[in-house]
Amino acid sequence: MSISETVALTAPQMRRIAAIDALRAPAYALGATMAGFATIAREAGFDVWMAVTTSALVWGMPGQVAFASLYSAGASLFIIFFAVTLANMRMLLMVVSAADMMHLHMHKLPLWRRVILMQCLAITSWAHLAVAETTYPRHLLLPYFQGFSLTLYASGMLGTVFGYFLPDMVPPDLLQIIIFITPIYIFLLIATARQKANRLAVAFGGILCPVFYPVAGEWSILLAGVMGGTLAIGYARFIAKWHLEERR
Amino acid sequence: MDDYGFWGSWLAVGLAAVGTFIWRFAGVLLASKIPAQSPLMDWVNTMAYAMVAGVLMLMLVHPTGILAASGLDDRLLGLVTGVGAMMLTKRIILSLLCGILMFAASLHLF
Repeated sequence: MSISETVALTAPQMRRIAAIDALRAPAYALGATMAGFATIAREAGFDVWMAVTTSALVWGMPGQVAFASLYSAGASLFIIFFAVTLANMRMLLMVVSAADMMHLHMHKLPLWRRVILMQCLAITSWAHLAVAETTYPRHLLLPYFQGFSLTLYASGMLGTVFGYFLPDMVPPDLLQIIIFITPIYIFLLIATARQKANRLAVAFGGILCPVFYPVAGEWSILLAGVMGGTLAIGYARFIAKWHLEERR
Repeated sequence: MDDYGFWGSWLAVGLAAVGTFIWRFAGVLLASKIPAQSPLMDWVNTMAYAMVAGVLMLMLVHPTGILAASGLDDRLLGLVTGVGAMMLTKRIILSLLCGILMFAASLHLF
């Protein structure tokens, strides 16, 4: 569909299209990822309510995994808080970037509604928003996000419950393959970002983070993000002089 | 694990939730301060992309949980196949399938 054909869509229609987009693949992949978290959580000693509450309120895989592994190791509450906070710091940048992509300021939502909206933000919905931005007109990106992220959220909760009770029924080899889907899926999405500067940032961040990890541990994500992102924008702006202004 | 007890466990869940929520909340506040289409916003975007790519590569190179049982070569082969297919075909589901199938094949054949 071209932008001109999509302008006439209403917000409920957009939400439905987004929900169907989510059900094409990402919802299953994310449900499987959350099922993977639930198996880790069960091994760590979570009951099912704790696992579901963690998925619902943290809603960010790296933080959830950090939480479950520290919990099983019997780490102090302070260490848990610190590690989860560090692991999910990227949310700050993702929220700012998502609000920009959705043109959230146009919609003049009250603070509490913006906060609830962003509580539903996950890497998958953020990455998909960047794709939707190229297809749909700007006033429909908020409804798109609502339909897409709520569908993902629901499948994530279902995945957590299923994963908690089902791991004995799925062979470990198959489970590995299922858990492999989400990181690859999102990587493919962001590696094909429309802006060259963002693709370059993906390359820099992707290379730097595993290199830093043995030395910097959980800090490697932050370091790789800031350094990779700065190098990419620096190169794009000052060396290659790509026209960032023409992005929309 | 009964290291934490009932209240300790739920306090841990609450702290994990707060530790994530503060970033989302800060993001909402910050978003209204940064002008759209400004160089600052472009910088925020590249940092977000780099950070997400970093998180994903960390899951693939230094995984925790069940994925850690597979080999690094299996995972990287799957990634390279997926990205290669994406560059050739530009079709995401197809490329995803290629990557996943290569990972599965690599797990069982090599």
